[in-house]
Amino acid sequence: MPQNYVPIFLFVAVVAIAIPATLMIGKLVRPNNPEKAKLMPYECGIDPVDNARGRYTVRFYIVAILFVVFDVETIFLFPWAVQYRALGLFGLVEMLVFLAILIVGYVWIWKKGALEWV
Amino acid sequence: MSGNLSVGWFVLISVIKILIAVPILLGIVAYTVWLERKLVGHIQNRWGPSRVGPFGLLQPIADGLKLFFKEDLTPPYVHKALYLLAPILSLTLALTSIAVIPVGGWVTIRGARIPLQITDVNVALLIILGITSMGVYGVALAGWSSNSKYSLLGSLRASAQMVSYEVALGLSLVGVLILSGTFSLRGIVEHQLGGFWNWNIFGGGQIVAFFIYLCAAYAETNRIPFDLPEAETELVAGYHTEYSSMKFAMFFMSEYANMVTVACLASVLFLGGWSGPLFGPPVLQALLPVFWFFLRVLFFLFLYIWVRGTLPRFRYDQLMAFSWKFLLPLAIANVIITSLVVALRS
Amino acid sequence: MPTSFFTGTDYALSLPMILLSLFGLGVLIIDLMLPAEWKRWNAITALIGLGFSTAAVMRIQLGHFADGRPLVGSFAYLSNVGGQVVGSVLMDGFSIYFFYLFLLGAAIAILMSAHYLEIEHEHHGEFYALILFSVVGMMCMASGYDLVLLFIGLELMAISTYVLVGFLRRDKRSNEAALKYLLLGAFSSGIFAYGLSLLYGLSGSTNLQVIAQALQRHYSANPKDPIAIVAMITTATGLLFKVAAVPFHQWAPDAYEGAPTSVTGYMSVAVKSAAWAMLLRIFLWGLYPLRPVYLPLLVFVSVATMTVGNFAALSQNNLKRLLAYSSISHVGYMLLGLIASDNITNKTGIQGILVYLLVYTFMNLGAFAVVTSLRRRDIIGDEIDDIAGLYSKAPTEAVLMLLFLLSLAGIPPLAGFYGKYFIFLSLIQTQHYVLASLAVLYAVLGLYYYMRIGSAMFMRPATDPEPVAISPGMQVALAVTAIGTVGIGILPEFFIRAAGWSLGIQQAGTSLLGFLR
Repeated sequence: MPQNYVPIFLFVAVVAIAIPATLMIGKLVRPNNPEKAKLMPYECGIDPVDNARGRYTVRFYIVAILFVVFDVETIFLFPWAVQYRALGLFGLVEMLVFLAILIVGYVWIWKKGALEWV
Repeated sequence: MSGNLSVGWFVLISVIKILIAVPILLGIVAYTVWLERKLVGHIQNRWGPSRVGPFGLLQPIADGLKLFFKEDLTPPYVHKALYLLAPILSLTLALTSIAVIPVGGWVTIRGARIPLQITDVNVALLIILGITSMGVYGVALAGWSSNSKYSLLGSLRASAQMVSYEVALGLSLVGVLILSGTFSLRGIVEHQLGGFWNWNIFGGGQIVAFFIYLCAAYAETNRIPFDLPEAETELVAGYHTEYSSMKFAMFFMSEYANMVTVACLASVLFLGGWSGPLFGPPVLQALLPVFWFFLRVLFFLFLYIWVRGTLPRFRYDQLMAFSWKFLLPLAIANVIITSLVVALRS
Repeated sequence: MPTSFFTGTDYALSLPMILLSLFGLGVLIIDLMLPAEWKRWNAITALIGLGFSTAAVMRIQLGHFADGRPLVGSFAYLSNVGGQVVGSVLMDGFSIYFFYLFLLGAAIAILMSAHYLEIEHEHHGEFYALILFSVVGMMCMASGYDLVLLFIGLELMAISTYVLVGFLRRDKRSNEAALKYLLLGAFSSGIFAYGLSLLYGLSGSTNLQVIAQALQRHYSANPKDPIAIVAMITTATGLLFKVAAVPFHQWAPDAYEGAPTSVTGYMSVAVKSAAWAMLLRIFLWGLYPLRPVYLPLLVFVSVATMTVGNFAALSQNNLKRLLAYSSISHVGYMLLGLIASDNITNKTGIQGILVYLLVYTFMNLGAFAVVTSLRRRDIIGDEIDDIAGLYSKAPTEAVLMLLFLLSLAGIPPLAGFYGKYFIFLSLIQTQHYVLASLAVLYAVLGLYYYMRIGSAMFMRPATDPEPVAISPGMQVALAVTAIGTVGIGILPEFFIRAAGWSLGIQQAGTSLLGFLR
């Protein structure tokens, strides 16, 4: 029933109005006296050196790529799971084949060391 | 559901439900913080908050007021728009996911059947997963826009952790979906009614999935033992290091709101939602499910705090290995076994 | 909605692809257990996989296809159009011909690669797995009768090839080539998908047959329907990108130069054949009603392709770049066949394209095999200077290379002649005299740059004393390609018949050969 989605948008609207409103009202009552030391990046009292947006380890990219692969597989499993009974034996076999290919890929990335962090 | 309601009434009832749900949710969030401080205090042989009001019950209100009146610094080196957007996004998403959670059965007011849920959509689970997985944007944007090393590192860790555990989390739900055959959370609960042996965790044999879900959900909400993004000893406060006043409070609230969502979802998916013994007059019959549901949510919140008081923090490589090398294969095995068992039974 | 998604015929029709996928996955897993010095077994496993797949194709050809009627496989997607059931897969002679072509190209490429990869210190099982997966994609492209299957096949092949191009991880040129190929390939796939979406919008179906019917209605109602023309042009752009026709050819020299040499050979034959299979399938089956619209476009593209390919090849000093431009010019000749014949009133041109692709597989892979064998320790071996004096070091190789080059130029007793012969014949049959004479002129131009390599091999002294060692796999590859090049040149009958058979031409080979004699 499409109208059932309306309350979700109403909810988002209510929340999205209420939160900035809180920030605005807060602006009227809170103090505002910034000074140099307050406005420095917080590094435990040491003056910051170098740009904060430097290079970081490539492992985060690997995790991102693996996430895309496996999350898409998960998305494929969802509609299959919901229609599981309707699809019958064909659906089961087909998804076992799908999972077998997925598991081959999983074993492969594991053995290749993509899952090692250090 | 709204077949016998006019459009005006439908919108009005929805707005009323929203206006009831949001303050209750915020109240739960506030008092979860109180409960956490109190319980962790007792676990650590301290008193916890005890000065403001009886048993420190007014502490959350005092904290809220304090944060409200604090100076809100926007440092000059940040990306202004994203720096502002991140906490708003985080809190909006965290609160919104409650919109599709059913807290009880149906109530009949003047002949109109109204579900105890802001709205019942047939893809509720997908909506919740979508909204919660967007939460990673809030964290990533906060860390990047802050332009501070601690923030960036914290947000990178948080993003990597959240996406890693999202895979296991998604896979752990497939078993439940096979059993119930619907994405509607109401449908999933109604499938489990009629005694605890019908709950997915027992009758459905989803206890492994339940364990995977809990672990992954703890990691998704960045809670101990998976709280590396905010590891105080290493990263000050992680991605919200540069935030102060209400913006900090928003991150704080969104974390606890996410905990509540996880607790609700765990109850709905695995523990039979609002199912429980019903007795007494009709009003009590209508409200008892809500009570049973909140009892479960309270249990999960207590579990969160208990775990926090008990377990130490993982190392980062352990954290990633736990997700990719343990939870993921376990979840895939659970999917295969569940599908085979269901096929053999029918 | 079909009650059963996969029928028995479907399993038989998809068996070649299933076998290749299984062997590809097997190679991936077996590779993890093999010590470094045993990596050759991956090549052998992959070859066994290709053998099994060939057997499965033969089974389709001799069993299911014995009566010569095209088979329609549903592949989980059947649509019912006016009482006529159309599926995702069309298994006709055309598909089977190309299946053999892909399997042959992949097998020779694998034979060429084993030793080469060892020299490059990149001997991983993934190479063979990717080759097998790309063949699966090619098979989907050749037999696909549905835009979805065609596109999935295209992407499977393309993504495997992107990785293969960048397989020399430590080589900057290889990485650069892979990135360029990836970006332009993704770009062209995007344009292609856009065209496909417009075709779907016009016809309401992804099936080529339904699309052809819908386009027929559109065209007869309004020959200048802008949407149909835009759909045709975007689809054609994507396809011409894939076959590297001018003006969409810029990726080819860079990708060919940077890729591992054996992969370059593979790309220039198998990948190109697959792109051609899909191009022919779409132009002659799906877009056939728009033929009056796309013909002028093709004339422009083919003349531009021959011009740019031949003239750019003149000034190349890198062997791989030279062969890349020469392969672009060959695409130009093949496009002429598509211009001349429409596969209904005249089939000679299409038959010529099929023969051309077959002989091109032999001669171009042979040429690349020789270039590959020039790679020794410390010598990259892809400049013309590196091949200088080859005759004094390895006379057999030099003679073979000369054979391949002469065949590429289209000198009569060799296979390359028949490719060009049928194309030119079809042009003359359809009274395209200007195009025919232009093509002949360019063929003469081609002889010049091929002979530049030839003269370097025979006339110039060797620049380095390092001997050229040929591994057993390479010997087999060279033998097969040389026998193919010479054999088709001397006894073309069987292959011309095969190409004719694949298009449903009865006894076409004899009559055409009679014309020749």
